[in-house]
Amino acid sequence: MKTLDANKLSDLAAALAAAGYRVVAPLKDGAEVRMKEWAPGAAIDIGPVPVNSIKEFLFPRTEVVAKFSLEGNDFKPEPFETPAPKTAILAVRPCDASAMAALDKVFNWEYKDDPWNARRAATTLVSLVCTAADEDCFCTSVGGAPDATAGADAILRPADGGKKLILESLGAKGEALVAAAGAVVAEGRAKADSPAQVPVRFDAKAVAEWCAGNFESPLWREVSLGCLGCGACAYCCPTCHCFDIQDEATRTESVRLRNWDTCGLGLFTLHASGHNPRPDQASRWRQRVMHKFSYFVEKFGILACTGCGRCGRICPGGMAIAQVCKEIDEARKAVAK
Amino acid sequence: MEMIATLRADAAKLLSEGRAKLVIGYQARGMHRAPLFVSDPAKVDRLVYDEACKQNLAVYLRKPEVRVKGPAAIVAPPAVMRSLMVLASETQLAEATVLAVDTNAYHGVLDLAGVAALLKEKYADLAPPKELFDELAKLNAMSPEERARFWTGQFAKCTRCYACRAACPGCYCLRCIVEKNVPQWVSTAAAQHGNYEWHVIRAFHQAGRCTLCGACEAACPQGIPLMLLNLTISEEIAKRFGEKAGYDPAAKPVVGSWKPGDDEEFIR
Repeated sequence: MKTLDANKLSDLAAALAAAGYRVVAPLKDGAEVRMKEWAPGAAIDIGPVPVNSIKEFLFPRTEVVAKFSLEGNDFKPEPFETPAPKTAILAVRPCDASAMAALDKVFNWEYKDDPWNARRAATTLVSLVCTAADEDCFCTSVGGAPDATAGADAILRPADGGKKLILESLGAKGEALVAAAGAVVAEGRAKADSPAQVPVRFDAKAVAEWCAGNFESPLWREVSLGCLGCGACAYCCPTCHCFDIQDEATRTESVRLRNWDTCGLGLFTLHASGHNPRPDQASRWRQRVMHKFSYFVEKFGILACTGCGRCGRICPGGMAIAQVCKEIDEARKAVAK
Repeated sequence: MEMIATLRADAAKLLSEGRAKLVIGYQARGMHRAPLFVSDPAKVDRLVYDEACKQNLAVYLRKPEVRVKGPAAIVAPPAVMRSLMVLASETQLAEATVLAVDTNAYHGVLDLAGVAALLKEKYADLAPPKELFDELAKLNAMSPEERARFWTGQFAKCTRCYACRAACPGCYCLRCIVEKNVPQWVSTAAAQHGNYEWHVIRAFHQAGRCTLCGACEAACPQGIPLMLLNLTISEEIAKRFGEKAGYDPAAKPVVGSWKPGDDEEFIR
């Protein structure tokens, strides 16, 4: 088995960078730990769940999708490049890696999204088994596990009480990465630590079933009273993928941008007439839950929530999708009695 | 009786006597603190208050879904009380029923006049922690280039989720400037240009109105030190106009009013 010392992740990052990878890793950034592009000297911290998911390295917050030059009344398309550098993302949480399945589906549904597919092809995901979970983690409620391998090309397993890491490749991309790691990883023996215990907090299938018959339920209003109407939950979510198309132009050139957007904001569904089919946070929260637990499952056969718990950690209104699902599950049980 | 027990008893009394139909307070969700909206006097036991309660609940007084459940009484630590004063002075709040609380004192049920008197008597010297002033001094000692680099790095984290705006009781515009999209005034791309514009606009719109409660910074999932911007502007307002927001429910807006004694040195 291939192993390395747990405090030698920077050496692994350096070896991969030398082999031509853009390396992304959980780095200390002020009071936060953030998934960020690694540079020599950056401190890797695999303790806490990073504040951001890995999605921004595959689906950036903003990106150019078309370019034009303007002259008088004429405009003509200009060539542009979609950056898709060879990338290794280290110590990816299993909940983030498993989000790839949902995003692969949506970006290859009727239309094949070239920027997404180009970056996916160029990216190697190295997961990290979670040996600790906090009260917001709920991967096991949505079909995941702290040691799940879905979406990962290689996996790091903490071993010998956190002193070592076992690096296992899970496919061709992983093999290439292990080869590029060179002498940083060595043949050795280590005993893998037990994965974290994550209790099941609600029944996701039952939530979907309840949703199907309760579009007009007053419960939506009750559970969403605390919602302040921002996009914090969607933007830290590993699976949320909505975007807005914006043109930004000067007199001589124009770019078409794809910017992150979210159903939590009122403008998301506001019609030009002034009518808004989702006029309040109750209808926006209904959409959030329905999309992840009902519509996405109907269309693609998988949930669009991986239980990372970030939304519950950062919500400025103290909300959490796990809590909302739990309340739905409880309401359903109360009716069933 | 223990402080929180008295607060709960008062909340239950307000609800059962019909003086309030809703109490907005804090509850615990594990390690987190979340808002609690309680209408049933039998359920007031879920109310908690401690130092972890950082959210500014005054933000809910203007939320339509909350208002229809009112009239509401609100659990208010001093920071929230000051926001109530700002909302009253800006004619956003005509009256209020306030369960005035602090980490080591409970002041009972007050109206707006009572809150104004309490703030003046007990909380006239509210100020952010010394560390924040130290941080700001460090920032002000930088060269303009260094300072620009600092903020460029901070704003680079911004995803434009607008949690800062959502968490602020003073940000109550029905349609924010960043949502004016015919034409699009501010770039919505979470990139340097639009992020700078957003943060500067947000801070400027708080001039003379920000009570330095810290809710925006606490709300920011990216850890952007928004209080440094807020404090910069508050210090300027204090220096130029001698005003401190959130004490006088009849205060005139600093930026929207004129007094014969106002500093005029900037008119050349």
